[in-house]
Amino acid sequence: MTAKSVPVTLSHVTKIFKDPKGKGEVHAVEDADFEVKPGELVTLLGPSGCGKTTTLRMIGGFELPTKGKIIIGDTDVTFLPPNGRQTATVFQSYGLFPHMDVFDNVAYGLKIRKLAKDEIEKRVTDILDLVGLSELMHRAPGRLSGGQQQRVALARSLVVEPQVLLLDEPLSNLDALLREQMRVEIRRIQKSLGITAIYVTHDRIEAMSLSDRIIVMRDGKIQQIGTPSGIYVEPDSVFVAGFVGKVAFFHAQLEDFEPDGRAICRLGQKKVHAGSAVRGLKAGDEVELMARPESLRIVSQEEAVASGKVFAKVYLGSNVEIYVKTETGELLIEIEDPLGKVIPSEGETVWIGFNEKKVRALPAEEQTEGQSK
Amino acid sequence: MFTKKKIIMISVVCLIFAIGEYWIFSTIQNTFEKNTLKETKALVKGITSFAPSNDEALSDWIIELSDIYPDNRFFAIKGVPGEEGSELIGGDEALLDLWQLPEYAEAASYATESVSYLEIYKWPKIVHFKGVPYMLMVAPIPDAENSEARATLLAAINSTGYVSFSRLVDALALIAFVLFGVGFGIATFSRDPISGYAIVVLAAIVLAFVAYPLLEAVRLTLIKDGKFSFNVWKTILSNRQYLQALWGSIQLGIVTATISTFIGFVYAFAVARTSMKGKKLVTTLATMPVISPPFSLTLSIILLFGKNGIVTKQWLGLQNINIYGLWGLALAQTISMFPIAFMTMQGVLEAIDSTLEDASLDLNASRWYTFRHVTLPLAAPGLLSSWLLVFTNSLADFANPLLLSGSYRVLSVESYIEAIGMNRLNNGAALSLLLLLPTLTAFLAQRRWVNRKSFVVVTGKPSTRLSDLASSGVRKALTGFVILVSAFIVGLYGTIVAGCFVKNWGIDYSFTLANIGEALTRGKQSLVSTITLAGIATPIAGILAMVAAFILVRKNFPGKRILESLIMAPFAIPGTLIGISFILAFNKPPLLLVGTGAILVINYVVRELPVGVEGGIAALRQIDPSIEEAAADLGADQATIFRTIILPLIRPAFISSMSYTFVRSMTAVSAIIFLISAKWYHITIQIYNFSENLRFGLASVLATTLIIIVLAVFGLMRLLVRQSEYLEKTITTQ
Repeated sequence: MTAKSVPVTLSHVTKIFKDPKGKGEVHAVEDADFEVKPGELVTLLGPSGCGKTTTLRMIGGFELPTKGKIIIGDTDVTFLPPNGRQTATVFQSYGLFPHMDVFDNVAYGLKIRKLAKDEIEKRVTDILDLVGLSELMHRAPGRLSGGQQQRVALARSLVVEPQVLLLDEPLSNLDALLREQMRVEIRRIQKSLGITAIYVTHDRIEAMSLSDRIIVMRDGKIQQIGTPSGIYVEPDSVFVAGFVGKVAFFHAQLEDFEPDGRAICRLGQKKVHAGSAVRGLKAGDEVELMARPESLRIVSQEEAVASGKVFAKVYLGSNVEIYVKTETGELLIEIEDPLGKVIPSEGETVWIGFNEKKVRALPAEEQTEGQSK
Repeated sequence: MFTKKKIIMISVVCLIFAIGEYWIFSTIQNTFEKNTLKETKALVKGITSFAPSNDEALSDWIIELSDIYPDNRFFAIKGVPGEEGSELIGGDEALLDLWQLPEYAEAASYATESVSYLEIYKWPKIVHFKGVPYMLMVAPIPDAENSEARATLLAAINSTGYVSFSRLVDALALIAFVLFGVGFGIATFSRDPISGYAIVVLAAIVLAFVAYPLLEAVRLTLIKDGKFSFNVWKTILSNRQYLQALWGSIQLGIVTATISTFIGFVYAFAVARTSMKGKKLVTTLATMPVISPPFSLTLSIILLFGKNGIVTKQWLGLQNINIYGLWGLALAQTISMFPIAFMTMQGVLEAIDSTLEDASLDLNASRWYTFRHVTLPLAAPGLLSSWLLVFTNSLADFANPLLLSGSYRVLSVESYIEAIGMNRLNNGAALSLLLLLPTLTAFLAQRRWVNRKSFVVVTGKPSTRLSDLASSGVRKALTGFVILVSAFIVGLYGTIVAGCFVKNWGIDYSFTLANIGEALTRGKQSLVSTITLAGIATPIAGILAMVAAFILVRKNFPGKRILESLIMAPFAIPGTLIGISFILAFNKPPLLLVGTGAILVINYVVRELPVGVEGGIAALRQIDPSIEEAAADLGADQATIFRTIILPLIRPAFISSMSYTFVRSMTAVSAIIFLISAKWYHITIQIYNFSENLRFGLASVLATTLIIIVLAVFGLMRLLVRQSEYLEKTITTQ
């Protein structure tokens, strides 16, 4: 299976749905503009209703963009029907044909392509081997477990050697353990085939663990595109910072920049040198300083940037999570390698400080989300 | 490449369409031309027959003629032109000039020949004087003995109407062609051409065979002597007889609906909520009247309770019993319609989780209290729904009242008598439209209101265990009741079968086989034509229903709601209205279908489509759309998806919609009674004719034959559907 890997380009793609009841419009996707490199696995990440599935469905040909262009390889596929483009989709509900057994399900696309019988047999057997389902070849899909159904769906999409593999929340119907296994499995198969893949999920851990790059979406708009670590460490907005991981925000004013790029911010009475700042911020801007739980720590009153009462403490072995209620909200401090360290107990008032180097200044939003998961 | 292929395809299809269209429209033109010619000839013949016997008076007569017919032109010649003794009498000189033109020499000689044989000759071309088209006729004026033409009349009959009509037909043909071309073109170049074609075809079918006939019916009731008027409605609404019929229908509907709902509920309760034995048998027996042919139950009610009925005359010795009327009708309708209530209620009761009743019993409520405060309130919307359904059916019913109403008036029969018996089509149409009012109201109420207010608790896990909600005394009473009704049904069917073998019911009960031979000989032609036409309609309706269901569920397009309403409309429209509107719409060009088998097939398809579509929609809604998307994604086009995925998955719905169409077409009465012709007769009407002529033996034989066919078809359907039952399970668990 050596399908040549191709890039996928979306240029200024917009999708507007007519509201079926009223005369209003819903802007499901607005001006999506990105490129997926050959062989890359890119994840569209966002809360439900952010337009990620619509984007995927437009790439698959199930929806027509209102504006913009979709190019796969060097073909403009914007207006081609699903059966006219070299994509294969793994659906959230799998969409297995209930009246066919596993073999016939996987062979379906090959039969449409009118391949010779023995060729079909060979390719179906190979792909079922790859996903580890050779034994269940003649089972009806209704008699398979969720994970097996999922793998049949994957095999069925892969067997036609598509140029692009599209995965629409393929793991959402599986239980937690199986999800972790399949995550690894999908990544392995995708890399071994070198196929360009676009993956849709609302689960940030799934996105982080699978992707070469992540596209964070919200309300139909792309918020940020970057590698998992890039997005985690250097988010460009409060929303992205909050959506991809636990985070605490401290409201501050940007005063100036150091020559090395550090941002000097006024936080209450204190001056803080934030390790990085979103590009485009200038002196005088209101900012949110973001700190991940691992860069927060308990300090003395002089060093502190906030204080609060500990209301919960979770011992996780390698680290301890301390939940603190402050004046502005709740935040989480992670203490790594807790053995031998002083751990405040519940009800105790603590002073909180952060590692300035790891703090990033983000533009303040009107509605600040305190600490999200 | 891609577009080139498409353009070639469009050209080919348009060419085929154009050929078909040319054929249809030239047939229309020819028919019209023939009719016009006939009329014009009749007119000219009429004129010549009034010619004065005195030759001298002819010249005055010609002048007179031009006064009487200012639109037309005349010229008279004494004798036969070109023959000896002929001389010009006078009239419009222009006609004579035309006659003498060298290019018409041939025509003139033919005309002379015709005239000498005393025949009217039509000039080969339409002639124009001052821009007005005329049809030129050369007519003989015969002598007193009618043996020779003593004079010849050249008559130019103004044919502006004819010419403009044929222009209109041409224009229509062109418009149809353009519409088709544009629609087809759009569909071809759209992303999903096959669905596009399907939508175009479905829209064309319902527009031509649902919307157009109904509009014609409405139009007829609002037009009098070519002008808009409410006269028809004024007549209808001020006539006691008609209002009586309206009230009669409603009264009958109320009585039937109430009794049927009661019996249906008792049945459903006994089946769904007690541990009565023999439920399967009871259910099967109860569904018999729904699928059994019309007239059969009516027939056996007459055989049992009529003037010469076995019960009334033979056993009870009653002399002046009159089964014809409200109560006889209510009896017949109840027996044939209570199963509707039963099946509705059974569905409702089975959907109510019996844990609710267990909970009530567990809280120390008595059974009676539980029934009144838990079961009944939960079942109430279902009861109302059953009542409305039976009410609608009773009002639309035509077969039972046709045989049994006697002097009692109901609208459906009244409109038939007006339209066919009295030949007052407009009154018939108005009466059947009047019938639409209560039926449609009840139908919409049932759909919109009752369905929405349903409290039915669906848990998804039907409890197999059943708590007996009736004490053993009550259960025995219920069982007794159910047995009684079931026995009555069996008795009715037994009577029909017995009727086949009796010489002369009511008079001579000796055994005979003669009926069978006679009935089958006399009924053979209608039986064959019924089976043929129903057989043609069945696959068409089945496939159309599935395609329509697919499009309505899965596709979005402008006008979808309208298309859906038009497809579903015939379900709520009484058959008599459909029958009348079909005659009105299709007894004239451009769709001259009355008298053909096609109109019956179309009627079957249009009337049975809604049920099939409903079944298809229900089946499709259970199928995850991503199954079809997956197929498309793997390279299947719309047609392949429909063939390899949709059709296998909705096979049960497909099969049952086909068998339903077949059976309903075989047993149809109300609409087709307007549409049958000598060549294409219908078996049910034959049964009716035999019963009207008191040949009950023959009627029984045909009814029994029909019952056997119906049962065979349903048996076959069960067999076919059972094979694919596993499918339904896997689809729902997906």
